Amino acid sequence: MSARVGRWLGISFGICFLTGLVSHYAQDPSQPVPFPTSPAWGYRVTQGLHVTTGIASVPLLLVKLWTVFPLLLQSLPAGTGARLRAAGERASNAVLVASSVFLLTTGLLNSTQWYPWEFSFRRTHYALAWVAIGALLLHLAIKAPTIREALRRDVDDPALDRPTATEQGALGRRGLLRATWTASALAVLATAGSTVPWLRQVSVLGVRSGEGPGGVPVNRTARAAGVTETAVDPAYRLEVVWGTRRVSLGREDLLAMTQHTEELPIACVEGWSASAAWTGVRLRDLLDLVDAPAGSEVEVTSLQQRGAFARTLLQGNFADDDRTLVALALAGEPLDLDHGYPARLIAPNRPGVLQTKWLSRLEVLA
Amino acid sequence: MSRGRAGLGALGVLLAAYGGWLLLSRQDSAGNLDAVLWLAGGVVVHDLLLAPAVLALCWVGARLLPPLARPAAAAGLVVLGSLTLLAVPFLGGFGRDNAPDNATLLDRDYTAGYLVLVAFVLLGVVLPVLVVTVLRERSRGQG
Repeated sequence: MSARVGRWLGISFGICFLTGLVSHYAQDPSQPVPFPTSPAWGYRVTQGLHVTTGIASVPLLLVKLWTVFPLLLQSLPAGTGARLRAAGERASNAVLVASSVFLLTTGLLNSTQWYPWEFSFRRTHYALAWVAIGALLLHLAIKAPTIREALRRDVDDPALDRPTATEQGALGRRGLLRATWTASALAVLATAGSTVPWLRQVSVLGVRSGEGPGGVPVNRTARAAGVTETAVDPAYRLEVVWGTRRVSLGREDLLAMTQHTEELPIACVEGWSASAAWTGVRLRDLLDLVDAPAGSEVEVTSLQQRGAFARTLLQGNFADDDRTLVALALAGEPLDLDHGYPARLIAPNRPGVLQTKWLSRLEVLA
Repeated sequence: MSRGRAGLGALGVLLAAYGGWLLLSRQDSAGNLDAVLWLAGGVVVHDLLLAPAVLALCWVGARLLPPLARPAAAAGLVVLGSLTLLAVPFLGGFGRDNAPDNATLLDRDYTAGYLVLVAFVLLGVVLPVLVVTVLRERSRGQG
């Protein structure tokens, strides 16, 4: 029973871990191997999977803990060696349980932008993912023979039960397994609409209904970023800088350049995503104004004063990609203030937090 | 223990130790203290509150409910219990305090949505289990 739920829990933790690594790497300014710009929907899929498998894991973890809860109340075996071994295994289980509960809880709360804690979510969630996956591998190593044996036998076979388990539960094991899979599937259906458009109507617990200015939700408003005055200032200029070369452009100047329209998704680390038609100037065309060489990295600065992402690094392959735009319009309408008016960055396959809004400066790094 | 298992276990210990080092080395002690409190808190809430509460519910259910209704009630508890826990941040809407001017965050009627979900589980999960249990019992009585 426990092995059957554990198998799926292990698979979904594996997916969460790998997609989490992808997301962490995509946000890392120093990338020995550049994060690819294609497919444009790549990050949308990996991050959607990350949050969805995390949510699917909640019922699995609850049932898994329920099935092994009686073991917690067992007394330790006699004999120093056996007792030490059992205590060690329990300590490793405690680490696994604590980190798993932590990851699922903080991940769920973060997806609804609820942060009732003092620690840095990103760093702590990342560090504990390594702890959890390590403790999971250790758990698998310890339990390998039992798991193999349990999965080989029929689920109702009592051969591997603890001796005290004599009474059949009301639901039976098959019934409990069915209820667990149902709970997991419903949890996914109820939330996945934030990233899968055709599920929006049934996802009664979706964080975002997919609505907003231009049909795209907003993560951080202009007011929260403190740019309500600077972004609409008639004296607004976008600076493009390479060494001593410098070009300063107003929104009218940008609109006067060749405009391109790209259908690109915006995919937030919190798991929601939306695809939209963005129109604006190719970033590469702007870099050409200051004769920046191909493959140059660009430091992107926002008008926003606060926050970790007021300044981001755009890798050379993203800067050179034809689909990377300084967007001025969304869905045929001028960009909404909350979407980054007067100008924002939009690039393919890039985490939402790095799609810098309210651009003030593009500096080509030597 | 086979060499493969020992290797897997050692790799696990190594990865977990790396995670522990990442946790402790990348932020100040106030943040770390809070992280440790949340880590321990999750286990305490589960082991001392949630699990005993479910045990108590099962105990009460086993005494109050007729045997035929128990499987349906247990299925309902598993599905609705876990979905209700998941729904807490949505029903509470706590994230809105963090971004009061963002109309696109948590922008649905989650109470109504949750009630629809509950109704769906009652009709789509609990009722079928009840029907199956009753039919099975009846055919057993005839056989």
